[in-house]
Amino acid sequence: MVELLLQFRGKIATAKLLILREQSQKELINILKNIRGKKCLVIDPKLGDSLSLIIQTSLLKEHGVELRHLSADHIQTDCTKVVYLVQSQPNLMRHICSNIHHDESKGLQREYHVYFVPRRTVVCEKVLEEEKLHNMVTIGEYPLYIVPMDEDVLSFELDLAYKECQVDGDTSSLWHIAKAIHKLEFSFGVIPNLRAKGKASVRVADILNRMQAEEPVNSSDMVMPEINTLILLDREVDMVTPLCSQLTYEGLLDEFLNIKNGSVELDASIMGLQQEGKKTKVPLNSTDKLFKEIRDLNFEVVVQILRQKATSMKQDYTEMTTTSQSVSELKDFVKKLNSLPEITRHINLAQHLTTFTSKPSFLGQLDMEHTIVESQSYDICFDYIEELIHKQEPLTTVLRLLILFSVTNSGLPKKHFDYLRRELLHSYGFEHITTLNNLEKAGLFKKQESRSNWLTIKRALQLVVEDTDTANPNDISYVFSGYAPFSIRLIQHAIRSGWRPVEEILKLLPGPHLETKRGAFSNSPSFDSLSGVSTGIAKVPDGRRALVLVVFVGGVTFAEISALRFLCSQEGMAYDLIIATTKIVNGQTLVETFMEKLGG
Amino acid sequence: MANVSVAAEWQLLYNRYYRKPELYPMRWKHVDLARHKVAGAPFGGPVAVIRDDSKIVQLHAESALRKLRLFNSAGHPLADAVWRHPGGRLIGMSWNDDLTLVCVVQDGTIYRYDLHAQLVEPNISMGKECFEQNVADCAFWGNGVVCITEQNQLFCIPDFRNPKPVPLADPMIDEPPRCIAVIEPQYTMSGNVEVLLGVADDPVVLVVEEDGVQRLGEGLLRGPLQKMVVSRDGKWLASFTHDGRLLVTTSDLTGIIIERECEADENLRLIKPSLPEAVEACVDASGHEFDVSRQRTLLRAASYGQAFCSNFQRDRIQEMCKILRVLNAVRNPEIGIPLSIQQYKLLSPSVLIGRLINAHRHLLALRISEYLGMNQEVVIMHWACSKITASLSIPDATLLDILLDKLKLCKGISYAAVAAHADKNGRRKLAAMLVDHEPRSSKQVVPLLLSIGEEDTALMKATESGDIDLVYLVLFHIWQKRQSLEFFGTIQARPLARDLFITYARCYKHEYLKDFFLSTGQLQDVAFLLWKESWEFVKNPMASKGSPLHGPRIKLIEKAQSLFAETKEHVFESKAAEEHAKLLRIQHELEVTTKQAIFVDSSISDTIRTCIVLGNHRAAMRVKTEFKVSEKRWYWLKVFALATIKDWVALEKFSKEKRPPIGYRPFVEACIEADEKAEAIKYIPKLADPRERAESYARIGLVKEAADAASQAKDGELLGRLKLTFAQNAAASSIFDTLRDRLSFPGAS
Repeated sequence: MVELLLQFRGKIATAKLLILREQSQKELINILKNIRGKKCLVIDPKLGDSLSLIIQTSLLKEHGVELRHLSADHIQTDCTKVVYLVQSQPNLMRHICSNIHHDESKGLQREYHVYFVPRRTVVCEKVLEEEKLHNMVTIGEYPLYIVPMDEDVLSFELDLAYKECQVDGDTSSLWHIAKAIHKLEFSFGVIPNLRAKGKASVRVADILNRMQAEEPVNSSDMVMPEINTLILLDREVDMVTPLCSQLTYEGLLDEFLNIKNGSVELDASIMGLQQEGKKTKVPLNSTDKLFKEIRDLNFEVVVQILRQKATSMKQDYTEMTTTSQSVSELKDFVKKLNSLPEITRHINLAQHLTTFTSKPSFLGQLDMEHTIVESQSYDICFDYIEELIHKQEPLTTVLRLLILFSVTNSGLPKKHFDYLRRELLHSYGFEHITTLNNLEKAGLFKKQESRSNWLTIKRALQLVVEDTDTANPNDISYVFSGYAPFSIRLIQHAIRSGWRPVEEILKLLPGPHLETKRGAFSNSPSFDSLSGVSTGIAKVPDGRRALVLVVFVGGVTFAEISALRFLCSQEGMAYDLIIATTKIVNGQTLVETFMEKLGG
Repeated sequence: MANVSVAAEWQLLYNRYYRKPELYPMRWKHVDLARHKVAGAPFGGPVAVIRDDSKIVQLHAESALRKLRLFNSAGHPLADAVWRHPGGRLIGMSWNDDLTLVCVVQDGTIYRYDLHAQLVEPNISMGKECFEQNVADCAFWGNGVVCITEQNQLFCIPDFRNPKPVPLADPMIDEPPRCIAVIEPQYTMSGNVEVLLGVADDPVVLVVEEDGVQRLGEGLLRGPLQKMVVSRDGKWLASFTHDGRLLVTTSDLTGIIIERECEADENLRLIKPSLPEAVEACVDASGHEFDVSRQRTLLRAASYGQAFCSNFQRDRIQEMCKILRVLNAVRNPEIGIPLSIQQYKLLSPSVLIGRLINAHRHLLALRISEYLGMNQEVVIMHWACSKITASLSIPDATLLDILLDKLKLCKGISYAAVAAHADKNGRRKLAAMLVDHEPRSSKQVVPLLLSIGEEDTALMKATESGDIDLVYLVLFHIWQKRQSLEFFGTIQARPLARDLFITYARCYKHEYLKDFFLSTGQLQDVAFLLWKESWEFVKNPMASKGSPLHGPRIKLIEKAQSLFAETKEHVFESKAAEEHAKLLRIQHELEVTTKQAIFVDSSISDTIRTCIVLGNHRAAMRVKTEFKVSEKRWYWLKVFALATIKDWVALEKFSKEKRPPIGYRPFVEACIEADEKAEAIKYIPKLADPRERAESYARIGLVKEAADAASQAKDGELLGRLKLTFAQNAAASSIFDTLRDRLSFPGAS
């Protein structure tokens, strides 16, 4: 199984994705080069996180950069040139304005540059204008639309996209996504097949087609487009999966330690380092061979694999010290020794994870998630959640289960809805009325208005799989130990045979769906739907498998990514997958985007 | 036509044959080249003619006013204009690369004309020195000019697109030069223009640049030059010497040119004629031929010969036919562009089409671009714009129909660009009608719509595009332009614009947002804003806890409450606001009575816990009753609060008050969490569910009791799980194994 995963993952056409990273790096350096001399680069913290995947701090310093984070506090630097690099969000303008006003009041003469990511916007400039700073700053753009997170994962880094669309009605992110895909098409060619499900996804497809009409990618230059199909899926369609606790290794790491831009930060002592009280950063990406091998596996299995590796290492060592060995045997042993740091690292991490996974509260939560997904015992679930509120368990934990409960029941009866809302306000404070209001607007926690389709969907798509063998899985349900992520099940169908066979199910889900051909292929009837076995269409000329780009509008979890990689590794799969998302999320971070305190 | 006559046209010059065919009999009348200044454009372009005012001429039947007249190459009149410019004599005129006629007069002013003899504004000045010293002579190249003053100073404009005069180095000559020529900037080493001056009585050529003067040709020339011409590529210089010789040298005057290599190749072709080469030669020759019947003869010969060649590229003939059709069409005297095939290839078809549309030969341009499979958009676009300019008297609707009729020929044409042109010509209504047909909603269309006052359409197009930035652009534009109420009405009808306005106003225009919600009757949203504002009092440093500032704060919340109460959909929010106000009052009182500022802004549950922790059970009870806190919640809160202060006696007493409504689980959990096993053991046996009992025992490490409870529950899965919990403890795990064996449930593992 593990070997299979490795074998196919290696084939993913990643070279071009890496070029994206280089391009973005070059663009940033060019911006810095054009502003001569020493300069203070002020980055908004969120953007700083994504930039760390594009460029190293040392490289910035080589270009005469002093690095600062943007905040309301004024900037302390000797540089006379200040370069702000910020996402084009109006609230960040406030900080820049107060910075400059402070300098003015102190009589400091500085040269200000504001570079907007990914582009300048009327709103941001309006704020500068109203503060009468418009003429003092030089405005530029840094068109960073996509950040490659790993060799097969791209992120648009739009962490608020889902909330902004669903609650505020601000669909900026959809334009951003379309623009990013359109940019990809300039290097990969026009993607001939498109499948979308959900209001936002269909809108992205529409904007993308408009962009293609107004600023066409010249498809005649490409003999055969490298990306065969684009699948767009709204997070709204499946809000069940991200709220369930992920049980893959990488998923669990994210649940408990919060993976940020491909690394986790934890106490040095956990990693066996002798630095009391200090934090250490552990990188987690596919350059770590062992991690690449085990990241997508169910955590139970990971523990076994690590144990085996440790045991065999120990055995080898004992043999080494007790019996005489030939040179080649010694060589093999040394080779094995090289992997020792990786093994140690993951044994430390896994051990640390077990302290969380063995807690009764976690097991209870898992149990409840399964009960809710099974959707058989309404009262048990209701009582459990009520009790969590009464015990004043952390609000995100409560909301996570509550949303899962509400979504699978398509809302709660008015009496229960009002009761739980009241209990929440009483327990956590009235300032959370805004959070509740946001969740209601987004349809995540609401009054029941129609019967739930969840049972029908669950059965039709076989989402709950009995007897899941997590060690030798034959279905994506292994990632949640028995629950097959609904989103990935849909994508599985979309890849295999298009929307047609699941049309009835799609109609039960929110938002329209779309299946269409694009570019030069839009009029050719012979270029029909994808089929499971490779039919020649699926092959690019040099024999590599064609690509399918799966875009999650509103976020994707590591467990879902693992499930997609699993699909990729299956025999008969004609495509490699690239995954793109507005942001990598988990239940906690997703719920947090909706939380907004009145007084906050 | 007899072969003899064809051959007779060719004359030997040095080592090459040349011929001078007459392309057109000139159609113009009364143009005596001797008494006119003439400027012919390269590439078969137009000819400009004006009476030479430096010569005394006799006027025939013509006006005394001088006229600048433009003809095509066949002498067909194109346009004319009366010349009344001040500034002295016309020194020189020439066509530059974009077919603008450039005329230099004595005081250094440069007048420019387009193809239709319309003056191109603004006029250009060669600068103060030229004005004071007078221009004596000038030399042009593709896109620039050099002037020499009467005091022999040189000034140049390197590029008419950026017309700034630049002084060149002083050539230090007393007499005016005999002749002048320029090497274009693109062919010089320095990238700046080089001016060649043939000076009197000195067998050299002076090369003048911006930063110096060089003497060239010393030892090579035997006397002063009378006339110089530089080849188009700047490599060669042809000059006419004082003793009547024609000299071709390299343009740096380092050697006299004699060529041999090409000749050998040509001889070879003559000596060893093979069929494919002959066919090739016929095709080539047809291309160079101006006479249509000779073209036909040559191509027929080629096509005949081609049949006997196995590997001749057949499409060569086809291609040539295509080129010739185009060339013959533009050579037609009506059009009058006598391009040679080399010129055509150098010029490229798209530039030729550009020239045709500039000359308003739209139909031919369209036909040619169609024939060559080129994009017709440029032609149609230009036609549409010219049509609008020329049709001031045609009503909008009629003109629109005329335009649409042609615009629809070209898929993807920018209606917006045509509309922009209409707007520039003062036809705003026509512009609006045209934009209506624009399928795109891009960055160009929306600002255009705003500039022609079509705000609603602009908003619609921006919304369609999905580009939020465009929507904001329109939004701010309308906001600025309209009265509040009208503005509110506009955006209320457009959900996206409305939502974006709200998002922006939430950050920056709070009061204005309230006005908006009031105007649209969204009272609940006003209520939310007020409720939010009530927290501003907390942030205010003056509002220290327990201060009377709570008065206004509570008032705001109550105002919010009454607004929520206006609609029946917001009963819940109204009730919550009411409770919030009540809570703040109670908390305020509690802070006064306890003299501890720890209550305000904590939740109801937290307030109850704090009261119990402080030992104030009456206050806790009061909060419970005031807010109708359920017995369930009350038990959890009180149990946890008592455990926090480790008041185990009070806890036990509480457990015995009455049978707890949710059983003894809260008691067990609180004790286990506080790590008080002894206390926990008091309550575990009272748990009703044996599974819960088993798990609780297990959590405090009582293996045997756990096992007993589990076997009572008859739950194999539970036993397995408990065994795992005690995995390190060998004795314990064996207990579970035996128990499980005894149970032996099917499927239990």
